[in-house]
Amino acid sequence: MSAVLTLDAVNKSFGAVRALADVSIEIGRNEVVGLVGENGAGKSTLMKIFSGVYQPDSGRILHEGTPIVLRSPLDAARAGIGMVHQEQSLLLNISVAENIYLGREAAFIRMGAINWRAMHAAARRQLEKVNLDIDPARRADSLTFAERQMVELAKALVLEEETEGHIVVFLDEPTSVLEQAEIDILFSRVRALRGRASFVFVSHRIDEILELSDRVYVMKDGAVVAGMPAAEASEAALHRLMVGAGRRTEYYREDRQAACESRVVLAAKDLGCAGHYRHVDFELHAGEVLAIAGVIGSGREGVVRTLAGLLPHTEGRLELNGAAVAFRSPVDAVRAGVGYVPQERRVEGVVLPMSMAANITLPSLRRMSTWGVLGTGGERALAREWVKKLSIRPPNIDLPCGNFSGGNQQKIVLAKWIEAGVRVLILDHPTRGLDVGAKQDVYDLVRTVGEQGVAVLLTADTLEETIGLAHSILVMRDGAITQRFEATPGAKPAQLDLIRYMV
Amino acid sequence: MRISSQTAARLRDNAPIATLVVLVLLVGVLSPTFLEANTLMLLAADTATLFIMGAGLTFVIMVGGIDLSVQAVASLSSVVMAVTLPALGFLSVPLALLSGILAGVISGVAQTRLRIPSFIATLAVSGIAAATALMLSGTRSVPIPPGMRETVLAFAAARTFGVPNDILVAVAVLVVSLFVERRTVFGRWSVAVGAGEPAALVAGVPVNAVKIVALAISGGLAALAGVVMGARLSSGSPTLANEFLLPAVAAVCVGGTALTGGVGSVARTLVGALIVSVVRIGMTFIGVDPFAQQIVFGGVLVLAVAATIDRSKIPIVK
Repeated sequence: MSAVLTLDAVNKSFGAVRALADVSIEIGRNEVVGLVGENGAGKSTLMKIFSGVYQPDSGRILHEGTPIVLRSPLDAARAGIGMVHQEQSLLLNISVAENIYLGREAAFIRMGAINWRAMHAAARRQLEKVNLDIDPARRADSLTFAERQMVELAKALVLEEETEGHIVVFLDEPTSVLEQAEIDILFSRVRALRGRASFVFVSHRIDEILELSDRVYVMKDGAVVAGMPAAEASEAALHRLMVGAGRRTEYYREDRQAACESRVVLAAKDLGCAGHYRHVDFELHAGEVLAIAGVIGSGREGVVRTLAGLLPHTEGRLELNGAAVAFRSPVDAVRAGVGYVPQERRVEGVVLPMSMAANITLPSLRRMSTWGVLGTGGERALAREWVKKLSIRPPNIDLPCGNFSGGNQQKIVLAKWIEAGVRVLILDHPTRGLDVGAKQDVYDLVRTVGEQGVAVLLTADTLEETIGLAHSILVMRDGAITQRFEATPGAKPAQLDLIRYMV
Repeated sequence: MRISSQTAARLRDNAPIATLVVLVLLVGVLSPTFLEANTLMLLAADTATLFIMGAGLTFVIMVGGIDLSVQAVASLSSVVMAVTLPALGFLSVPLALLSGILAGVISGVAQTRLRIPSFIATLAVSGIAAATALMLSGTRSVPIPPGMRETVLAFAAARTFGVPNDILVAVAVLVVSLFVERRTVFGRWSVAVGAGEPAALVAGVPVNAVKIVALAISGGLAALAGVVMGARLSSGSPTLANEFLLPAVAAVCVGGTALTGGVGSVARTLVGALIVSVVRIGMTFIGVDPFAQQIVFGGVLVLAVAATIDRSKIPIVK
């Protein structure tokens, strides 16, 4: 087997976070390579290296055995690398043919104008490759999701005519928006096309990976932990490799995980939001950490946005301390005592150009003022107290938040909500992008607020974190809850138990 | 032209004052009468209305918006005042101010409820205000009845200890604006909304209300500028404040308030307004055609905005 594309000991870091660690991968001629891993395992970074969006810090990319440098998606296209993206990238307001030849219109220009007939004919030939019989003049938004996915594939296959060498097509979670019948069609097309191209199939659905791939790579924490022929792999073995062995109980401060109180703070009763989630029931007790597990598209993001006041629910009831509430905006949520720690920390978490002190007091200004006039001095004393309590570094309360590290920014976000006296804290991927030390500080803080009776709803980056922090766990799939687990210390569920209900 | 954020911050902090000093000295050397007390007093009085208008505009630009209706609102307010003076007397002034606040609230509600950009909302309101002023005045300037200027409008038109009262009104606006900006919850919320609206929203800041109030303040102060101008000229006119929009926006931006929001101050706008006035008067002294002055303001505005905006906030410039 001769490799078309090789990644040789590639490293990539973002600040303190190592996204790829010594990753080596080979993609053979006419091969379908599966790539599995949890969210955050490094799959996306790897794809972005191959598509020229990111450049490796060290290591080499080889094309047909020759080192190449990919500085842009255009370079990648020249090397015969095509991408079919997870979030579909077709422009919906133009035709299928225009989408396929976007940026490549030059070939069809006659006397300064586009020769539509020639472009449509060429587009039809591309669509034939994927066996899709639609009019290339149709607007992309008139297609079904499955048809759009096929058009994306056809678009990637245009590279065949443009490059001399063998082409490699990356499929990034292509099945996430498809029904089973559509998945079958996609797979049969990939099988039919493997005579003319290699494919890299990225997914967290192990069954699909095994069904389609010749060879499988497993990624975890930025490294490739295993590579094997698909025939030798089993679903259970891949799961174990994906999530790793053994949990580190001390890491999540399980010793500090106290039993939660019996008082229900927040309750969802048959809660639903059209297009996001439905029939969601749960009770969140004082001092409890309730985690929601689920893959992207499971609906858990929607539940979190509803509780933060960013996505009003359309069905069912939400009760806070027994009284029905409806959050039309975050103003309502904050007033009711619900604080949101968002995953987009630098966008929604802190106001970057404002000082640390001003960020910490932002939700508490009403309390700190009389008739809208702020008192003097109180804010600075308060900020200094938080610097001491949470060891925020550097201890400069006037420094703009943008100048703090991610971990310290997250401390500022948490300080802001604790200062505001919230009774419910929504933690949306609270450790994303943080290094190990900063993560532990966050875990410590979660335990501290729990001891003070604050109820926490968590969506975590990894299952390890989900299980480590939670008292109880909801698993969601396709917008609905599929299972509930108790996760008290000493009686924690295994990751495989959760995964079974996630995919 | 690309300028690093640090350089931009330093320019914002020091360039306006330095520019003002250089300009004053330059004009002073070219025509020494400029530095006489009388001329400087005239300069201050001339700056007063521009500053009052710019101060209101600063609140809107701080939250990341723009108010293009200030000149039409100022004209409308002068007409409302002049038309209602004979019947209402002292009440005509608050009524005129109310017309400006109302215009601002309409812009704000349109912007936040219908989710349209503030420049479109205020452009539309500008048209409405201008047409209303034309209709109310019968398309003519409306003279202020004799005697009224010395009684009802004394607060703006008379002198106190030899200082024209419009200067004192401007000082009062400065003091109150600085207080609102630095010491009130609204002032803090404005900075948060302008500097990072998504984070402000998540923190429970009533973003829409902040935007509406900012536009209401802008409308109210534009109306006050219109009243002061009307009092000085003894008449209200539907075209009274024409040619004021560009200098007002220039005053805010030249002072160092960033068009992208979150950075700035009414104090900076004072410096900016003085720069604009010195340039204007300087050009007159040197003999530049008054009609050509807007060319200079246009150029100055573009340069000032290029030097102050935060490019990380606008990846795509449309």
